[in-house]
Amino acid sequence: MNGVLAVYRKEILTYFRSPIAYFVVAVYLVGAGYFFTYNVFLTGTATMTETFRNMSILLVTLLPIVSMRLFSAEYGTRTIELLMTLPLAAWEIVIGKYLGAVTILLLMTVGTMIDLIPLYLYGNPETSTIAAGYLGFVLLGMACLAIGQFFSALTQNQIVAALITVSVLLGFWFVGHLSGLQATDSMRSLVIYLSFALHFADFVLGLVRSEGIAFYLIVVAIALTLNTSYLRWKR
Amino acid sequence: MSEAIALESVSKRYGSKTIIHDISFSVAKGEIVGFLGPNGAGKTTTMRMIAGFTTATSGVVRVAGYDMATDNQAAARRLGYLPEQPPLYDVLDVSSYLRFVARVKGVPRAAIARELDRVGNACRLETVMRREIYKLSKGYRQRLGLAQALLGDPDVLLLDEPTAGLDPGQIQETREVIRAFGREHAVLISTHILPEVTLMCHRVAIINHGRLLAIDSPAGLQQASAQSNRVTLLVTGPAEALRAALMAIDGVNEVSMQAPADGNGLLSIDCQTDARAAIECEIARAVTARWSLHRLQREQPTLENVFLRYVQDGTA
Repeated sequence: MNGVLAVYRKEILTYFRSPIAYFVVAVYLVGAGYFFTYNVFLTGTATMTETFRNMSILLVTLLPIVSMRLFSAEYGTRTIELLMTLPLAAWEIVIGKYLGAVTILLLMTVGTMIDLIPLYLYGNPETSTIAAGYLGFVLLGMACLAIGQFFSALTQNQIVAALITVSVLLGFWFVGHLSGLQATDSMRSLVIYLSFALHFADFVLGLVRSEGIAFYLIVVAIALTLNTSYLRWKR
Repeated sequence: MSEAIALESVSKRYGSKTIIHDISFSVAKGEIVGFLGPNGAGKTTTMRMIAGFTTATSGVVRVAGYDMATDNQAAARRLGYLPEQPPLYDVLDVSSYLRFVARVKGVPRAAIARELDRVGNACRLETVMRREIYKLSKGYRQRLGLAQALLGDPDVLLLDEPTAGLDPGQIQETREVIRAFGREHAVLISTHILPEVTLMCHRVAIINHGRLLAIDSPAGLQQASAQSNRVTLLVTGPAEALRAALMAIDGVNEVSMQAPADGNGLLSIDCQTDARAAIECEIARAVTARWSLHRLQREQPTLENVFLRYVQDGTA
């Protein structure tokens, strides 16, 4: 556990002493702010529903920039040789790094909460729906980061890691659209089950289902397990 | 636990390609062993197997008594490793970087500041402790890599070319640090700077094409090489008479001659002799008795010659 904490601290320091974290958070907040202004002030409805929908797709495309350096950069600078020879288990490295990236996600999330001030000042929004939306938003982000971290471990090129991650995440995002093309019911329900977007849609409507929470957490668990096994196998 | 590092018939294969062939040697506590070999000989791969960055395909690697295949966590706690390229996080400052490594190595929280001071002084990093690593010169980067390896007072130190990129003054200081450390710990240094080995190491391991060719003290290796000594001469005189006179000396095993090319009568002679100390004096006496001797040289096997001989024999 000591190892996880040390790796986590190092990740946080690294994020904040390079421009990436600031850049991603800034771009994200500008985008989220624009969506909020557009959806709330131009339509005059005091809900976050539409804003969450827009924010989610921006999240899916921006998070690979957060996750791309997690392992690729360690390969590039050969610091992986230090990490793998220090008294650290592979899972400690994986969890420490993952928690570092999740911290950036939480910062992005908290940053958007400034939107809630005018919402509550001038409207009468439904708090439980908004809370559910934020929960879904964080879970979605966590799944994206876990997948991104796994792909980052496969290549020493950060750009390649980001591009593969974006493609895979967009695939999971839009896979639900293929449900109309499936011949069998089982294929149809599988495609719907795999869709990141459809699970997220439930949360946005205020529907917190254990199935939805479990889905994202299972994705995280699978990606991080693959990541750990890959590091062990590489040794 | 006198053997801090022990390799028992270790091999490494990637697919069908064998990189390391059945290497066995050990490094005891209080010993500095130099690891010599041309580029691509397998030094770095062997270092990486000892450090636990890669695993051996077959054979056993033990560090501080722990089997790297099963107990690498316990071994990693006793090990300091400086890879070929110092593993530094450019955006961190020197002290945060060292703090990170110290924490992971399990240095108690209360002792971290003291530990940072200790390695900082040993590697002369006092003035750059607050500086970001990407601003450091190559010499400082190398010494920071060494400082990182020294953290937590490991039993075993693995250094892959520790003096690369340092200026002569820094090399001197770094050697002093390593020598002091090696008095009570086990150190394995890979290098291709030969004088370094003679200056610092108790024993030398020569490796080429993934095979361990020899392991002995530098003096021992030179002695082994000295078994077939060479004396070269430049003489004016008749070739056949000279050959007969030289072969008559006890200890001269073989004489080869090169006839003068420009007709000035200078004959270049190459004698293979045994290791007897005064043999060149006898040769000089025999030659000067009847002819004129222009030059006589006894070729002492330097470590460089020894190294080249092993490495070239390996290729042949």
